[in-house]
Amino acid sequence: MSEPILSARDVVVKFSLRGQILTAIRGASLDLYEGKTLAIVGESGSGKSVFTKTFLGMLDANGWVDSGSIMFEGMDLAKLKTEREWLKIRGKKIAMIFQDPMTALNPLRTVGMQIQEVLELHQGLKGEEAKARTIEILGQVGISDPAMRYHQYPHEFSGGMRQRVVIAIAVACNPRILICDEPTTALDVTIQAQILELIRGLQKKLGLTIIYITHDLGVVANVADDVAVMYAGDIIEYGTAEEIFYNAQHPYTWALLSSLPQLGIKGQPLYSIRGTPPNLFNEIKGDAFAPRNPRALKIDFVKRPPYFQVSPTHYARTWLLDPRAPKVEPPATIKAMRAKYARDAI
Amino acid sequence: MTAKEEKTISAIEEQELFTFAEFDEEASERTGYSNYSYWGSTIRVFLKNKSAVTCLIIMISLLAFTFIQPYLPNQKNPITVHLDPNTGRQLMNHPPSKEYWFGTNSIGQDLWARIWSGTRTSLLIAIIVGVWEVAFGIAFGALWGYVRQLDALITEIYNVIHNIPTTIIMMLLAYIMRPSFKTMILVMCATGWLGMARFVRNQIIIIRDREYNLASRCLGTPTSRIIMKNLLPYLVSVIVMRIALSIPGTIGWEVFLTYIGLGLPIDTPSLGNLVNEGRRLIMSPSLRYQLIFPSAVLSLITVSFYIMGNAFSDAADPRNHW
Amino acid sequence: MNMIRYTLRRLWQSTVTVFIVLTAVFLLMRLLPVEGYFKDAYDKMQPEQRENILRSLGLLDPWYIQLKNFYAKLFRGDLGQSIVYRPKVPISEILSAKIPYSVKFGLTAMALSLALGLAMGVIQAREKGKFWDKIFTAYIVFINAVPAAVYLIFTQLYVTSVTKLPILFDRTKPSSWILPAVSMSFGGIAGYAMWMRRYMVDELNKDYIKLARAKGMSSTAIMVKHVMRNAFVPMAQYLPTSVLATISGSIYIESLYSIPGMGGLLVDAISIQDNTLVQALVLIFSSLGIIGLFLGDVLMALFDPRIKLEKRGGAR
Repeated sequence: MSEPILSARDVVVKFSLRGQILTAIRGASLDLYEGKTLAIVGESGSGKSVFTKTFLGMLDANGWVDSGSIMFEGMDLAKLKTEREWLKIRGKKIAMIFQDPMTALNPLRTVGMQIQEVLELHQGLKGEEAKARTIEILGQVGISDPAMRYHQYPHEFSGGMRQRVVIAIAVACNPRILICDEPTTALDVTIQAQILELIRGLQKKLGLTIIYITHDLGVVANVADDVAVMYAGDIIEYGTAEEIFYNAQHPYTWALLSSLPQLGIKGQPLYSIRGTPPNLFNEIKGDAFAPRNPRALKIDFVKRPPYFQVSPTHYARTWLLDPRAPKVEPPATIKAMRAKYARDAI
Repeated sequence: MTAKEEKTISAIEEQELFTFAEFDEEASERTGYSNYSYWGSTIRVFLKNKSAVTCLIIMISLLAFTFIQPYLPNQKNPITVHLDPNTGRQLMNHPPSKEYWFGTNSIGQDLWARIWSGTRTSLLIAIIVGVWEVAFGIAFGALWGYVRQLDALITEIYNVIHNIPTTIIMMLLAYIMRPSFKTMILVMCATGWLGMARFVRNQIIIIRDREYNLASRCLGTPTSRIIMKNLLPYLVSVIVMRIALSIPGTIGWEVFLTYIGLGLPIDTPSLGNLVNEGRRLIMSPSLRYQLIFPSAVLSLITVSFYIMGNAFSDAADPRNHW
Repeated sequence: MNMIRYTLRRLWQSTVTVFIVLTAVFLLMRLLPVEGYFKDAYDKMQPEQRENILRSLGLLDPWYIQLKNFYAKLFRGDLGQSIVYRPKVPISEILSAKIPYSVKFGLTAMALSLALGLAMGVIQAREKGKFWDKIFTAYIVFINAVPAAVYLIFTQLYVTSVTKLPILFDRTKPSSWILPAVSMSFGGIAGYAMWMRRYMVDELNKDYIKLARAKGMSSTAIMVKHVMRNAFVPMAQYLPTSVLATISGSIYIESLYSIPGMGGLLVDAISIQDNTLVQALVLIFSSLGIIGLFLGDVLMALFDPRIKLEKRGGAR
């Protein structure tokens, strides 16, 4: 396997909130490979967005990277402090698009100007040249009559169209990595597919490396090469999409997959994970998922599991993979999936 | 514990550790518990604001003093004209002394007593106006928001009144009526409630139409509970803020109306009247104390209430609760 | 096209408002005791004499006739005659001498408050919570909380003695223009700074700022190209409000410094109870207020492409 383009190790992110310190990311590690699409999945509040924001230095003012490293192009992004240093990365090398296209654009400036601004900033284009390029990009992201649309304001665009504009802004920077923070959550289902298709097309054309942040496993199955599963500020399982879907090892990943309606077994109630995610203000001991895991081991409450390697591309943080652990059968839905996969493989 | 001991213990425990733990339903729910409380956070944020707390302390002591001052020993009547024991004539413009702490005014009345009496008058007006603003504003706003047929009409009326400068409305009303305590209160009550009414109307429309409230109602929450949980905390904090801010506002208007000659009758001491009396004497530096003392007390009151009101409104905003 | 339709609609609303206000003011003034129409001679006159005077002024006609006559005169530009201030002199003549002073001082003060207030607000938003933010906030709190009369009197009293500027206005002395104009802008500066700071902080918390940061703009560029621009748009609405502030400010300033303008005239007219003069001035000031708000709305619609599409409701 080639060198990763970005490699995060043991990243710890803290926030100070209401006079207390909150640990949002608890030593998460991640490798990102050039030209691939990585999906980070997890429920709301698991730290997906916060984790990726550290790659851009865009944590809110009350948050900071406490320890760990994020290596990118021979630089440790975790060590960057000043805005000047970040400006060499943001937009230029790593770009990000956000969940809600309705609010992501400045309502008082024309769509054209908001894209052109980026071209002037990063590619030194000016005047007519910049305008021509802007119109070209608008066309590229699938906006019809771009020359007319160039002069319009965001409120004259539909949600899907606005997300296309946001994507246009991101790719106008010509970045190496594009982080998509739930890019389709706020959109209609029919539009979702179009946007995913657009991103996929741009990836091919521009050789982008993409990180998808999502809680929609349908999207993951659709677009991802690799998948990282996050829970309570930690990546608890990491592998190729196939490995995660058909050979998951962590009880949380099992629970997550079991709650997919598509995988439910007819006539039986849909599985739902019991309990609530942990309060990040408190120190978490052992495996964060243990209190919600009906088949947790005693050690899960005492000691945090290390990463166990399942395959060269597949890691999971669970004591179940320890040779001393008792054999635990995955739930029925997971077994059914594995069986189906084994059949299909033959 | 030495490394060796740890090893032995862990060797014994190891077997045990890799067995199943019991699932505790309660423990799994407990993890997501949030200890957030609206009023707790509001009070905590407010108390963190040092200048607001200082103002609060100043205010409480000042208010207390204002109301017990007449019952303290050696206090003079604010409208008694004091006479010079030697000449038997009015003790005019007597500079501050042991006997007359803040001196006397141009007809020999005790300025110290007049200032506290004036403060009482002005605060009384301000509190009446503030309470009226809140009470009538809520009632009118509820009608405005609740009766859909009236909405368009009242909105038009609101736009008309809102378009006229408050200064002009107050001046005109004060000019038409004879100067008196009642006139003053009537004039002050004429416009302030509009803002409160609009606020309540908008809140009611939010309660009616916002999706989180629709959702809540769909789940069977009774409207009374939505009002209790979603409107009331907000309303209470707005009421506190309005009354706090109406004090500097009302005192300011009183000073303005007095200045242009439409204030309370001269024989009623009020902060506006005292400032205005003092203003007439500024050309002789030795008499400036008659302007400085009332202005200082007045400014202390208005600034304290203003800071407190704003600090409270900041503290009551959940977005500042972190 | 939208813009024109929006402007016309607002113009119509404002015109209706002006008429309602003029009518209301005129009718309210009819409630006044009639003494104000006699200078000091009321007590010395016989009832018949009084009646003759009132009849000649048209004050004994039914109210709707009076109202009709009032509007008929108004459309000819006739505001009536002064009774006490300068008896029998047309009010328009009195005003024409006063207006230039009010306009000159008003515009100077507005320019000053805009320039200084916006600058202050921008500095505050950028340095939020730091030294200058605190200093300027203290200024804003002081100006908003302390009645204008108090700080204006003290300014006149002590600043003139320190700087040796003239204590009263004198047309021929340029230095006597400075202090009134500066003090007239105190309130406006505080208002602009407060709103500019608030709007900038609001804008800074919006999502599009996140995207602007993510696309690699420096915080200075974001401030200039996005935040300041957007924060100024709602401020456009306050431009007329500052005209109003200048009006009420000018009432103090003009009388404190004896400037022969309209604000000082209003104070004089009230103290001598010159009813027709008070009526004319109230009409002018309230019309100014309405015109100001109209212009503010149009100005804001020019800046904000979304406004024209919205239906105007009471929730402003």
